[in-house]
Amino acid sequence: MTTTVPITLTINGALHQAFVQPWHTLLHVLRDVLHFTGTKRGCNQGICGACSVIVDGEVVRGCLSIAANCQGRTITTIEGLANGNTLSNVQQAFLELGAVQCGYCMPGMIIAATALLKRTPKPTEEEIREGLSGNLCRCSGYVKVVRAVQVASERGTS
Amino acid sequence: MKFYQPTTLKQALKVLANEDDARCLAGGATLVAMMNANLLAPSALVSLSAVKGLAGITRRKNGSVTIGAMTRHQAVADTAALDGGQRLVREAAALIGHPAIRNMGTIGGSISHADPAADYPTALVTANATVTIENSRAKREIDAQNFFTGYLETALEPGDIVVAVSIPAGVAGAGSAYEKFARVQGDFATVSAGVVLALEKGVCRHARIAVGGCAATPIRVAAAEAKLVGSRLQDSAVAAAGVLLAAACDPIDDFRGSSEYRLMILPTILARAVSKARVRAETVS
Repeated sequence: MTTTVPITLTINGALHQAFVQPWHTLLHVLRDVLHFTGTKRGCNQGICGACSVIVDGEVVRGCLSIAANCQGRTITTIEGLANGNTLSNVQQAFLELGAVQCGYCMPGMIIAATALLKRTPKPTEEEIREGLSGNLCRCSGYVKVVRAVQVASERGTS
Repeated sequence: MKFYQPTTLKQALKVLANEDDARCLAGGATLVAMMNANLLAPSALVSLSAVKGLAGITRRKNGSVTIGAMTRHQAVADTAALDGGQRLVREAAALIGHPAIRNMGTIGGSISHADPAADYPTALVTANATVTIENSRAKREIDAQNFFTGYLETALEPGDIVVAVSIPAGVAGAGSAYEKFARVQGDFATVSAGVVLALEKGVCRHARIAVGGCAATPIRVAAAEAKLVGSRLQDSAVAAAGVLLAAACDPIDDFRGSSEYRLMILPTILARAVSKARVRAETVS
């Protein structure tokens, strides 16, 4: 017997409904059901951080979150950071500093950096490296990422 | 697969008693990764997220601290409640994975999985913690040391849920530390060591040690602790304790390190933990 679970999620400020299976992850529902494809699937094991999203104010792994368990939660994905055509501070800093290489890890990096600055608005370099330690860049381009987070931090939140 | 979202522990225990091969869904950090890898396909998921009373940290009058099974690693890492001989538990929590994992993973989930290279098992055995387990018929308590019975094996029986972990106040004036060596930040331990020490005029009068990542369960050796008690924690005493612990370990070879390598670095990791715990004990006493 399989149970289909109806869920309602607030994603980037708007309500969305979906019918999910118990084994469906939030990542699957975001990408393949609701088409928020900015959030990436990397390892699907919670290691790489490409699927990072903010749920009820905290950064989590989309691939390890069971969608049926997310009923009623408030989710921010990479698509929800910009205000119209105005990028968030973190996005703008990543852009200006050329922190993006192939780009695949970037949605997760930017989400993790946004969550880090919310918890620690003025992080040290070590705190930035620790805060992003769960986000792997296979281009290994970490130096400019760290610098971009420093620049975003200097400019203040959001 | 069925999905249950009980709101009371009683409901959750009833589902577990009636569903063969159901799994509790705590933070998902391990269970969902295993499901994604097709290593596990439970008949039902019993989400504990909405169960009242399973999350939170309480410090009791006698100084013991009870951590609810659904308490996230980050909450343990941030708590001011764990101090002295209990401090290593929050130090271990802060070293688990990465921020997103610490926001998801729970102490109950972590110890139920019982990976000997994980941080909580070693820290909780060192701190002499007690695990509270409940099923639909009864509730029982078991020492952390007896809870971990083998590689990914515990004293849990079908239908059981870990509901809390309690860390006793322990010896007055104790200092503690948890030290981990991992190849990359946030990884499981290649070798880890937990140490609780109490000193009197520079002489060690209490020592409790456990090492992780070196056997199927965290390893404690009474004779190794006895080497420290009565000593001034000089290098030779700590090294002798390391030799006794290494002799009791049986590490596996894997990508985190060969068995030989783990045994080689164990005394160094132990010495680091002893050194930190000593400074903390001296500050207290």
